[in-house]
Amino acid sequence: MNRRLPSLLLAAFAGIYLWQALAIPLDPWSASESINARTLPITYAVLLLLVALGLGIRPAPSSETGSIHSALGWRRLASHAVVIVAFGLFIPLAGLWVSLAGLLLACLLIAGERRPLVLVLAPLGTALLAWFLLVVALGVYIDPGRWFS
Amino acid sequence: MGAWEGIATGLATAFNPANLLWVVAGCLAGTFIGMMPGLGPITAIALMIPVSYSLDPAAGLIMMAGVYYGAVFGGSTSSILINAPGVASTVATSFDGYPMARKGQAGRALALAAHASFAGGTIGAVALLVFAPALAALAKEFQSPEYALMLVFALSSIAAFADRGQVLRSLAAALVGLMLGTVGTDQSAGVQRFTFGRLDLTDGLSFVLVAMATFALAEAFRMVLAGNGDAPTPRVAHARLHPGDPKAIAPTVARSSVLGFLVGVLPGAGATLASFFSYEFQKRFRRRDGVDDARGVAAPEAANNAACTGSFVPLLTLGIPGSGTTAVLLGVMLSYGVQPGPRLLEVEPAMFWGVIVSMYIGNLVLLALNLPLIPYLSRIIHLRRRVLVPFVIAFSLLGVYLTSLNAFDIHLMLGFALAGVVLRLAGFPLAPLLLGFILSGMLEDNLRRTMLLADGSLAFFLDRPVSLGLAALCVLVWLAPLRRLTAKARKPDRSTA
Repeated sequence: MNRRLPSLLLAAFAGIYLWQALAIPLDPWSASESINARTLPITYAVLLLLVALGLGIRPAPSSETGSIHSALGWRRLASHAVVIVAFGLFIPLAGLWVSLAGLLLACLLIAGERRPLVLVLAPLGTALLAWFLLVVALGVYIDPGRWFS
Repeated sequence: MGAWEGIATGLATAFNPANLLWVVAGCLAGTFIGMMPGLGPITAIALMIPVSYSLDPAAGLIMMAGVYYGAVFGGSTSSILINAPGVASTVATSFDGYPMARKGQAGRALALAAHASFAGGTIGAVALLVFAPALAALAKEFQSPEYALMLVFALSSIAAFADRGQVLRSLAAALVGLMLGTVGTDQSAGVQRFTFGRLDLTDGLSFVLVAMATFALAEAFRMVLAGNGDAPTPRVAHARLHPGDPKAIAPTVARSSVLGFLVGVLPGAGATLASFFSYEFQKRFRRRDGVDDARGVAAPEAANNAACTGSFVPLLTLGIPGSGTTAVLLGVMLSYGVQPGPRLLEVEPAMFWGVIVSMYIGNLVLLALNLPLIPYLSRIIHLRRRVLVPFVIAFSLLGVYLTSLNAFDIHLMLGFALAGVVLRLAGFPLAPLLLGFILSGMLEDNLRRTMLLADGSLAFFLDRPVSLGLAALCVLVWLAPLRRLTAKARKPDRSTA
């Protein structure tokens, strides 16, 4: 990773945050207060900009800075991210338990697990155990999802 | 309530069969999670939050204290056996522990770690019993200005005690945490801040989400990036000390425990600094030859356990967490509706003393239960990453979804976890981020109240003796990294002269 990239990203984050902080609506009464809804956000943003500037000027070396991970690792990370997005989208439709089993199965496959017994038992067992503990034992109501209701 | 009466109340709470069971369960769960390479106490506590919500506050906190201890102990096991410390606080243990394991003394190293941890925890628990009520009595004098300055001190300490080259990064992480803490409805003015018109954000970001995203899920993602390289693990037949070990390590353990506790009490310092301090102290000033690895294992282990206990002092008495782990515990307490601080001792004496006493019981449980179980528990380390990572991902997502039952949080969590991975790869520590996030609301409330009382004058901070002392401490803490930087800048000049 470029050593100055993190400071640039932080500065960008601070800039956007500052822009949003300046847009926080204030009524005339709170505007006259010494600390209002904008004060600390603006302070934090300015401080972060200064720290980002400091980091940009002298980026300190670190054990993880510049560490190169394999393309396979990044591909797997991207695949996990896609699966998690799908998990979030499927919960309202298929319900938590089916989505959870699907999530675990997909993650195991992405991680490289190929043993059929593990691929079947781990997702089903986990979903069943979680369902039993929460719904049966603790009586928590979990929406079964549009497809099953 | 006097100290003895308090201890009796604590004993009654902690020895309640259900609570006792939760201590044991917490210690085992913490050890189990902490042993997994890459997962530390914060992750362990974050993953157990959904379980704690199903318990009453005293039982939940007692269980969490057990998880904390168990995870620290579990982290030492992976440090010694496969040189893969789950957390920074057990890195120093691996310096001498791993070479011992490679020499075929894995069982002895683990036993040394267990006994030193027990002794450190015991000394820490006794010190906590003495210090906590005294500090709670002193803290009764604290009002908004003192709290505001104490919070500034806690956040400033992050930079002062940061690792070499990490001062600005730690500050940046703490600031990002403070910023995330401002999302939602402003409590005083009732205006929306950084919600982008989304109803899901009006209550602010849940601390469970931020904790799980930046630790559990981000850690799992980091493991995904690192690949499936599983280290070969030595098998452990039994964990026993050599006959001369107890006598040899006793002075080291006593010294490191006291040092660890004192360092642990300081906000921002914590178990990592304590373990490195005591290891360095042992290595530089006390070790007489290069073969005594036993003391090298015992010193950091005693110190980090004592520091864990010490970190509960500011949490329970002032309501100010000194480390990432205690920040998560503060979040758990707040979600129970329990406000830690000087009044906790009066309002919830059973919980206050129960948590303290259960820490000691947790130590006993770890020694009595984990020592014989080490040969079996250590097999967890053989669990392949390709199985471990999907479970960490699934449990962290499940935990966040169950606290809000809102699928939007899943996507938000993914975003935070990806940002967390980027920050970690760039060398930013994430514990200050969590600390900043938890303290953000408290800091803003106390500053506002102070400014209202003082009619907008900052001089109010200097009018009160305690706040004046705290302000002086803050200045000292700010000067520490500056001194380090200037000393560093002068070094090349000397060499060229």
